Order: sequence, then structure tokens, then C-alpha cells
Amino acid sequence: MSWEEFWITLIVCGLTMLACRVLPLFLLKGKDLPENLNRALGFIPPAAFAALVANDLLAPDMFVGGFWPAAAPLAATICVVVVALKTRSLLWSAVTGVAAYALLLLI
Amino acid sequence: MVERSHIKDSFKAAIPIMLGYVAIGIPCGILCAAVGLNALQVFLFSALFYSGAGQFMIPNMYLSGSPLASILASVSLVNTRQMLYAASFAPACQNISKPLAFFFAATVTDESFGVSTRKFEEGDWSVDRALMLNLFSQSSWTISNVVGALVSGLIDIPLQIAAFAMTSIFICLLVTQKMTDANVIAIVCAMLGVFACKSFGLSGPAILIGALIGVAVAFAYASIKAKGCPSGGGEALPSDQDGMRTSGKGETHPSNEGEVRP
Repeated sequence: MSWEEFWITLIVCGLTMLACRVLPLFLLKGKDLPENLNRALGFIPPAAFAALVANDLLAPDMFVGGFWPAAAPLAATICVVVVALKTRSLLWSAVTGVAAYALLLLI
Repeated sequence: MVERSHIKDSFKAAIPIMLGYVAIGIPCGILCAAVGLNALQVFLFSALFYSGAGQFMIPNMYLSGSPLASILASVSLVNTRQMLYAASFAPACQNISKPLAFFFAATVTDESFGVSTRKFEEGDWSVDRALMLNLFSQSSWTISNVVGALVSGLIDIPLQIAAFAMTSIFICLLVTQKMTDANVIAIVCAMLGVFACKSFGLSGPAILIGALIGVAVAFAYASIKAKGCPSGGGEALPSDQDGMRTSGKGETHPSNEGEVRP
């Protein structure tokens, strides 16, 4: 990647990213948020976490490459869910997930 | 302005993110070096762009020979999900200064959004602590990327496994949500939405569209349930990415319009 391509990429991606990160906050900041909007905003965390998890774990063609490569992360997910519910700890969840996934791939 | 105890709170909360960023930041730096980016360029990407998904996509797409324009479009599309995080933090940022709000919003990632959201729910959290959490996370990401670019070829981290640290963090954040009817509906619909998007070849905006579908359906459900509210609910059809805007249509507030930008 040349310096020219680098600068174009950095500036374009950096600006679109900054706009996405900052504009919605400033459009809503300092205004009385209507009750309906507040209620909708409250659903963003569960919906976003669910979307991030689904994006990492699910794909229409996930079993095309064989059963185990797609099933191993799902099995590791079960381990993470158990640890997460028990400890509520992000750190233990991450450690469990990586260890379980690595072990399951060895099988 | 910044209290020592707040710095400690932030650092403690940032530890899982920082470790996760080491695990995926080093492979990211290695990948960037593979397309000829040097340590300075990798540093600039991490400091000014700061996007895990984006910084993996750029070298990956470059290696596969994608034209620059399609790289820029794809990366920008994937990052539109950040709009949701900014909107979600708006209530917490109502009474803080503009510079603080700006720097906080400008350094939010998937992971720091998750951790700060949880901390705000638990109480005893504030935007200054959330900003420091962002900066600790970003420092870890940036250093790891630069290290990766410098040591490329010397070490090899199995990325598939390392990346599962991030997935595990999201899983923990997800299953520790309050499982009310409406939240469960939001979760199920968001997952179905992501899967549907991918089935239709829309993997770029899948997270944004999926999450908006979840928000819209849960909002419609909650509005119908709380019948006392006169407006809004019936219109929130879970049809497409307009869900968020539709859900606010019961109000004539101008600020709603800016939420979903093309």
C-alpha cells in the first residue's frame, strides 16, 4: 500500500468513522429527549450485543466447510455463557472462551 | 477535574478490553505490515481511525485485490453501527461539556460501549471515567498494533482463536442483560436480523440493520404493552434500517431525523 493510498484510506475512513461516532450524540445532546425516544434508546444495548454475537457466530453458509469448524465456536459459547452467568466477569468470560475454543479445535 | 480514584476505576474496568486488544492488536499489526504499512502508518491508523474491524478489513481487502474505492465504502459501511452507540450514550452526556462529550464519543468502540453501558447501569460511573476507559483501551490497541507491525514474521498468533476473546466479551455482556420480555424480543430479532442480512449478502451493514430491527420490534412491543402512550408504537415496523427513525416518528422532534444517516 503506497503512502498516497494510505492517506486516502486514513482520511476517508477516519472521517466517516468520526462522523458516525460523534454526530448522533451531538444531535441529541442538550435537547429534552422525548419519552418514546428514550425508550427506544434503551433497547440499543441488548440489540447491539445480540447483533455483535450473531455476527461473530452465525452465517448462512457456516456449515459448508464441515460441521466441527462451525460447531466448535458454538460449543465454546455454551462454556462462556455458563461462566458469564456465574461470575458476570468479562475477563473470566474471555479467558474461558479462548481456552475452550482452542481446546475444542484440538479435538 | 480527574480524580485519582476515577482513574483506578477506569483502569480496572478496562483490563478485559486491554488484554483482548493485545490478543487481536498484534495480529492486526502483523497483517498491516503484510501489505507494506510501516509502524508509523499502523500507529496513525490506530490513533486516528481506531477501529478493530476496519483495521482488519483494510489489509484483508487490499491483499485480495479490491479497488481502493470499494475498500473505503465497505469499511465505512461496517462502521455505521457506531451511530447506535453514540445515540445510546446521549442521555448520559446531557449535562457534560462539549469537549468531554466529543472526546468520549470519538473514542468509543464495540467493547468500550459494552463495558461503559454496563457500568452506567450499575451506577457509580461517569463520562470522565468512560473517556479514560476508552483511552486505556485505545492505548492498548495502538501499542499492540505497533508491536505487531515491528515483530511481523517473528511471532504468529492464531487469530481465529484470539478473536474469540472479543466474541466472549460480547456474549458475557449479552447474557448479563436484564432479561425482560422486551429485551428478549430485541435480542432474538437482532440475531435473526443479522442472519437475514448475511443471507441477502448484506454482511457489511448486518450489525447495524440487525440491531435496528431488534430495537424497532422491541420498541413496538413495549409501546403496545404500555398502552397509555398515545403515539409511536404502531408505526414501528421492523422492515428495514429505517426502523430507528420510524420508531421516533410519533414525535415531531427535529433531532430524531439525524439518527439514521445514509
